[in-house]
Amino acid sequence: MSADVSDLSLVRRVQRGDKGAFDALVLKYQHKLVKLVMRYVRNPAEAEDIAQEAFIKAYRALPQFRGDSAFYTWLYRIAINTAKNAVVSRDRSPIEYNIDRHDNDESYDMQGRMKDSETPEGLVLTDEIRSTVNAAIDALPEDLRTAIVLRELEGLSYEEIAAAMDCPVGTVRSRIFRAREAIDRRLREVFEGGLGRAEELG
Amino acid sequence: MNEELDSQLSAMFDDELPPEECELLARRLSRDEQLKARWGRYAVMGAVVRAERGVRLNAPLAGRVSAVLLAEPALGTQSLPGAAQRAAVRWWQPLAASALAAGVAAAAILWLRAESPPAGIPLSASVQLATPAVGSAPVMPASASGSVGRADSYVVPPSPGVRAVIVPSTELANYVVAHSMFSSPVARRNLLSAFMTSEPTTGGAEEPQDDAKSTAP
Repeated sequence: MSADVSDLSLVRRVQRGDKGAFDALVLKYQHKLVKLVMRYVRNPAEAEDIAQEAFIKAYRALPQFRGDSAFYTWLYRIAINTAKNAVVSRDRSPIEYNIDRHDNDESYDMQGRMKDSETPEGLVLTDEIRSTVNAAIDALPEDLRTAIVLRELEGLSYEEIAAAMDCPVGTVRSRIFRAREAIDRRLREVFEGGLGRAEELG
Repeated sequence: MNEELDSQLSAMFDDELPPEECELLARRLSRDEQLKARWGRYAVMGAVVRAERGVRLNAPLAGRVSAVLLAEPALGTQSLPGAAQRAAVRWWQPLAASALAAGVAAAAILWLRAESPPAGIPLSASVQLATPAVGSAPVMPASASGSVGRADSYVVPPSPGVRAVIVPSTELANYVVAHSMFSSPVARRNLLSAFMTSEPTTGGAEEPQDDAKSTAP
C-alpha cells in the first residue's frame, strides 16, 4: 500500500474546499505535533498554541502543497519552523509574549488557553484516558494486543506485521480493527461519561 | 455503526486502505461527526500506546483550529496561483485569437487595395479576371443614331451602383474608343464588337485582345 494515501485523499478534499476533511487531519496529527513542538517549548499549553498556529499556517499554505512529500512531513516542517520562530520571539520579548500579547491573530486564543491549560479537571481526564486505554490493551487477547502494539508503537505496516505474526495481511487488518473496537468501547465511556468532554475530540 | 465501515476507517487511519476506497471514505469522514469522533479516539489510542508524556489527550486543539478556520474562506473558493494564471490565459486567448484574425483580414484588404490598379489605368488581365461580368452595359456607337459628318464618338452608359473595381473596364472601353480614330473602320468595329461580346462572359481580358489581333489587318 502506498504511504500517505489516506492523508492525500483528505488533503485533496481540503484543497477543493472541504474544511471538514482538515478536521480529520488535525485530529490525526494533533498529539504528534504537540509532542514535536514540546522539544522546543516545555509548557504544554504553549506547545498547543504553537501547534494550533502550525495547523492554521498549514491550512493556508495547503493550495501550494503538491504532494511531492508526505503530508505529515510537510506539516512537521511547518510546525518546527513555527516553534523556532515562537522561541525566538519569546526570547526577544518574553513579557509581551507571555502576558501582554495583543495582536489580531485569530490563531491565538488567550481565553481558551487560560481556560483549559493545566486545570485539575483536564489533568484528571488525561490520566483517566491513559489508564483506560492501557487497561483495555492489557485486557486484549494476545494476538490483538501484539497487532495493535506493533502498529502503533513500532509503526509497522500491515505487511510487516503479517510477516512478523505469520498470518495474512487481511487477518492483521481484522485484528487491529478488533483491538481498536475493544479499546474504543471503554474509551467512549470516558469521553461521554461524567466529565462530558467528548465534544473536545469532535 | 456499520462494522465494515469502521474496519475501513481503521485501515484508512493506518494508510492501509486502497486509494479508491480512501476517496469515498474521506468524503464521508469529513461530513460524519460520529465517524470523525471515532477517528479522533483512534488517534488518542495511538498517543497512549506511544506514551506521549506531557501531551494532553483531552486538549481542545482540534476544536480551536476548527473554530478559527470557520472564519477562513474555503480553499476551493480561493483562486490558486497557478489556476488564476491559467484562468487569465483562458480569458484573453479568444480575444487574442480574434484580434489576430482581424489583423490578418485588415492586412489582406490593404494588400488587395494596394495591388489593384488605381483609377485611370487600364485594367490588367489579372484584375479583370476577378472583375464580375458587367455585360449589361453595352457600348453604343453614337453614329448609330444617324449623325453623319461628325467624328465617331461612343458613349458608355453610366452604370450606377457599379463598384470602383469595375471602373477600369469602362475606362478601357473609353480608351479603345478614343484611340479608334487611328485604326481602320473595319478593325475598329471588329475590336469593339469583340470587346463587347467578350465582357459578359468569363471576363477574360486576353480574349478580346486576341480577337482584335486576329481580326486586325
